Amino acid sequence: MIPSKLSLGDRYSEIAVALLTLVALLAGWLTMNRVQSRALPFQADGVSASVPSGWIQSEPGSDVILQARERASSGFQTNYTITRQLTSADGGQNEAVSLLTLQYGQELTAFRILGQQAVTVNGREAIEIAYAYVESDPNVSHAGLPVVVRGADTIFLTDQGAIIVSYRASEAEYEGGLSAFRRFLNSIQF
Amino acid sequence: MLETTCCVCGESGVHSLGGRWFCERHHQTATRERRGAWRSNLGLILALVVFVGLVYALDAFFHPAFTPSTLLLTGVLLALVPAVIWLGVFYQQDRLEPEPKGMVLGVFALGALLAAAVGMPLVENVFHVSDWLYTDALTTILGGILVVGFTQEFLKYAAVRYSMYNSAEFDEATDGVVYATAAGLGYATVLNVMFVVQNGGVDLGAGIIRMAVVALAQAGFAGITGYFLGRAKFEHEPLWWMPLGVTLAAVANGLFNWVRGEVTRGGVTLSGGAANPWSGLVLAAAVAFACLGAVSWLIRRNVQSALAAK
Repeated sequence: MIPSKLSLGDRYSEIAVALLTLVALLAGWLTMNRVQSRALPFQADGVSASVPSGWIQSEPGSDVILQARERASSGFQTNYTITRQLTSADGGQNEAVSLLTLQYGQELTAFRILGQQAVTVNGREAIEIAYAYVESDPNVSHAGLPVVVRGADTIFLTDQGAIIVSYRASEAEYEGGLSAFRRFLNSIQF
Repeated sequence: MLETTCCVCGESGVHSLGGRWFCERHHQTATRERRGAWRSNLGLILALVVFVGLVYALDAFFHPAFTPSTLLLTGVLLALVPAVIWLGVFYQQDRLEPEPKGMVLGVFALGALLAAAVGMPLVENVFHVSDWLYTDALTTILGGILVVGFTQEFLKYAAVRYSMYNSAEFDEATDGVVYATAAGLGYATVLNVMFVVQNGGVDLGAGIIRMAVVALAQAGFAGITGYFLGRAKFEHEPLWWMPLGVTLAAVANGLFNWVRGEVTRGGVTLSGGAANPWSGLVLAAAVAFACLGAVSWLIRRNVQSALAAK
């Protein structure tokens, strides 16, 4: 095989193709960001937020103000929940955290707290707890394996009790969805 | 001195065509009308459609029972069928105008390797297209062209451009289509194998249709890039020529992806939704036929006009 000589035009042409592809991928990246940051306004019970476009919203009532589930994800559906929890007037954040972990310990299989820290969201003090549990489909005929779910709850104290903003995703999806959850968390007003 | 050397082998040029110089031998090959490549592609389209019908009928009549491992193995073997058919028909047609078999297989393997090592990780793990591409029609088209289309078509272009393009074996305009189709089928094979592996096997009937659709579409779009590569090698083309070729292939890729989604989507009835994979196969066969037929016709026309202008 005798390689032929490459003309200058060929060289410029291949650079142009590579550059064009890079520009197209950059435009694709911007398109992806635009789609993923699209949000719909939500307002109920004195709480407003921007929910990702395309997610399924529900307002189950009672203490749950909003539940939004990702439509595209397969298996366990990544979800955000805003809940109101009544606490005693002098209980503070520690009481809210204790009530919550007690509740999760009773409701969730293999519930474990992974960490707890004080955070500031939009100038508001809050406590963030990270946890994990095992989600198993209650339908015993379902052949799928149980899923390890990771969650992060951000607990704000208000005059009427605590506002708890929860993020839950399968272990595989959790890290990838954190930045979108932060956007959602920052959009919440109450 | 460089201007008068043969653009294929670098020896002294004695004939000029389309602004390029050729030695005596490569002038003959560059102006040869080669029908074998088109017949191979036509054979691929027809044989695949027949094969899909056969597998579908066997599945419908016999309802074969599979264990998870035999289902996976069957799926992987079916994923290789389109490439095997094309190579078989190509070798049959190529007896009179032989192309080095090892080179064709090499470009096929390079297309597959680039798909597995770069294309799929980029599209699935960096861009996570399955999470956002199907949000709405505009996003499907834009994302399909900019991310999926450009990634796939650039890699198929690269598989030929950085392997065979500078070789003395790339001595006919049709070779661009031949090698690009090989790269496209390599890419399609990896897409199909990964689909089977990720799903732990596929339903035999619907699975073979999907594989045929992917193979036909990838071969068709690669044919567009291959035509532009062939012209760029044998004629002086402007700077925008090759970028235009990759862009056209990427646009066709993205639009096909969207149209296929639209035509295969079944109506929703009281008994549930139903997809219609057959319409996807008809569409893919028509697209492959149109793309590969058009580039064959263009190559033939170019050769004839080059000969007339001598």
